[in-house]
Amino acid sequence: MPSSYSLVIASSQGQKRREIRLELAEDAWHGRFQAMGSPCELVCEAKKRHEALELTELVAGEAWRIEDKFSRYRAGNVVHRINTAGGRAVEVDDETADLLDFAVTLYNLSERRFDITSGVLRRAWHFDGGDRVPSENIVSDVLRLVGWHRADWRRPFLQMPSGMEIDLGGIGKEYAVDRCAGLLREQGSSACLVNFGGDLAVSRAPEGRRSWKVAVEGDAEGEPAHLIDLKQGALATSGDARRYLLKDGIRYSHILDPMTGWPVPDAPRSITIAADTCVEAGMMSTLAMLKGAQAEPFLRAQDVVFWCRR
Amino acid sequence: MSQKETHSISVALAAATCTLLGSGISATVDAQEEPAWDFNTSLLYYGEDGDRVKDFSVSAIARRMFIDDRYLTLGLTIDGLTGATPSGAIRQDVAQTFTRPSGNAAYSVAAGVLPLDDTFKDTRLALTAGWQQPVGDTSQVSVGASASKEYDYLHLGVNAKFARDFNQRNTTVSAGIALSMDSLDPVGGAPAPFSPMLDVGDTSNRLGDQDKDVLDIVLGVSQVISRDLVVQANYSYSKSDGYLTDPYKVLSLVDGTSGDTLLRSIAPGVDGPSHQFLFESRPGERTKHSIFGQAKYYMNGKVLDASYRYMSDDWEIDSHTVDLRYRIPFGANRYLEPHLRFYTQTDAEFYRLSIPDSLPLPGHASADYRLGNFDAITAGLKYGWRTHNDNEMSVRIEGYRQTGSVPADQLIGNQVSRDNFPDLNAIIVQFGYRF
Repeated sequence: MPSSYSLVIASSQGQKRREIRLELAEDAWHGRFQAMGSPCELVCEAKKRHEALELTELVAGEAWRIEDKFSRYRAGNVVHRINTAGGRAVEVDDETADLLDFAVTLYNLSERRFDITSGVLRRAWHFDGGDRVPSENIVSDVLRLVGWHRADWRRPFLQMPSGMEIDLGGIGKEYAVDRCAGLLREQGSSACLVNFGGDLAVSRAPEGRRSWKVAVEGDAEGEPAHLIDLKQGALATSGDARRYLLKDGIRYSHILDPMTGWPVPDAPRSITIAADTCVEAGMMSTLAMLKGAQAEPFLRAQDVVFWCRR
Repeated sequence: MSQKETHSISVALAAATCTLLGSGISATVDAQEEPAWDFNTSLLYYGEDGDRVKDFSVSAIARRMFIDDRYLTLGLTIDGLTGATPSGAIRQDVAQTFTRPSGNAAYSVAAGVLPLDDTFKDTRLALTAGWQQPVGDTSQVSVGASASKEYDYLHLGVNAKFARDFNQRNTTVSAGIALSMDSLDPVGGAPAPFSPMLDVGDTSNRLGDQDKDVLDIVLGVSQVISRDLVVQANYSYSKSDGYLTDPYKVLSLVDGTSGDTLLRSIAPGVDGPSHQFLFESRPGERTKHSIFGQAKYYMNGKVLDASYRYMSDDWEIDSHTVDLRYRIPFGANRYLEPHLRFYTQTDAEFYRLSIPDSLPLPGHASADYRLGNFDAITAGLKYGWRTHNDNEMSVRIEGYRQTGSVPADQLIGNQVSRDNFPDLNAIIVQFGYRF
């Protein structure tokens, strides 16, 4: 068997071309594809190419399903229906309702700072490393459309004032990672690592090496990456290595406080968390980011494994 | 936000995630960063009151973590000891002169003063190395080696420990063994047991180098009782063989009626002891058994650590130690930890304040206060905090007070009215930095 082998399969899904690239490197198969705006990868210890391909297809299929269903950029999906309901109630399916219930829990746990209706703030803020800090007026205009307390959620019906939108982007990727890891475990497949743009979970510990080695990217200033051994569980990173604004010497993080419409002051540059599931890791890192200067004390009080960059 | 409120967030998040993802989550996170060194350093000052022992110690422990929970630990300690320590001789109403342990000079102690040997000065260098790794899913093994060197003492040791988890890791059973091979090369040579303290320059009672071997075995079990309570129990056995005598300690040879130390005649022009002193003699074996129990109780961020140790040996020393620590966090980054320790021991079967000339020489005898009847209390406070770059610092200040007594049936004549077991007070200051 060649040490590096690459296979491309392509399929047409709507207008978007989707492909899986399979490669053998360092004794493991790497199935790569693009989903949810991120490079995604399944690393598996499968012996045979066809097995690795089947597993990658399984994972990519689930990632694309979740992307199609919950992306706010796709017309016709449930999020699109909610965001264009014009004040009418929308009935949602069980999976969507589960995600909304979960979002409500986070909204309450974060004292209203984790808010799936805050996505519209992106109309005011463009975190591209530039210096376009919006005016107070623009921010307060958009802020009138933010606030989960304005939504009326009675499972399975969601009704929001016209113009308000939800964005499940803050949960979707982590949810997809855990769903995929769960499918792989159900399959009883070889040891796999599901990695969607740096948020990742293990299906089980690899046989040979006993742990997955994961490099957590350093920040823009060339700080060396952390190398983490992951045997079980998941890792997720919230960070703004590239997503920030810099004006008059002030760095504005991309973590917005929906209460003020402005970036959370003194938020760490990035927080990586290890937890049982990618959803917990991702949500905990977001909750910590929202704590700003108090992120580290908050995380220590949770007794979680974390790596914080300032 | 209080600790309780923040902690409830992770619990609520875990519950909500479980609802969202269903029951398919089985794995508990196991992640560690590699490679990483961490260092635990400390500066310690121990000072007894008056002119007695002062110890200044610097230590560093470096730990390197490797993948799969394997650790290398290296330790270095440097001690600097100065000050005087009781020689074992008793007070007299007249001045006393002693030959120094080196045999090269003499020193005098004023009337009514406890004889201290002020030549106690040493630097100790200690090195340790250890390796720990899992064996299979439920066991751990560790091996280590140690060495230390003082001017007159060399210690070499090896140790190994095996631990196995049972009962979903709630129970851990462990067994450890340690061997040490020590050699002593006392200043001026080790004096023969019960030989008299001789004139300056007379080395006829000195023996060569001495050896001591120690075997320690520890069997332990620790049990997680609940989320908040962990208990541990150990039995340990220690057997020492060889030269267990302190080559610098003496006993006063006294008159069987007055209790005063017998005078000694010295030839004119010779420097030497004014009174009759015998070098101590201890058995060549010592077997200790001890039982240790500890409970750690977590109370909403606070930690109570309580332990008790009972030790009994064939020198007939029985000791009890109760140790209590209570860690009180305040804020997310600071804690205070009060510490109380109570200790009591009975004297060794051969502990003697002095040796009366009216009775036959006992098999063994020592006037070392550390083998006497005494109680000790340690009380202190530790303050720890986390620096902005996530390192840990701590300061510990403790006071130690020891009070002892000589059994009444050992007091002869004039000894009854003298303070034969002076109190010992010491202060301990430690600064720790972990990074």
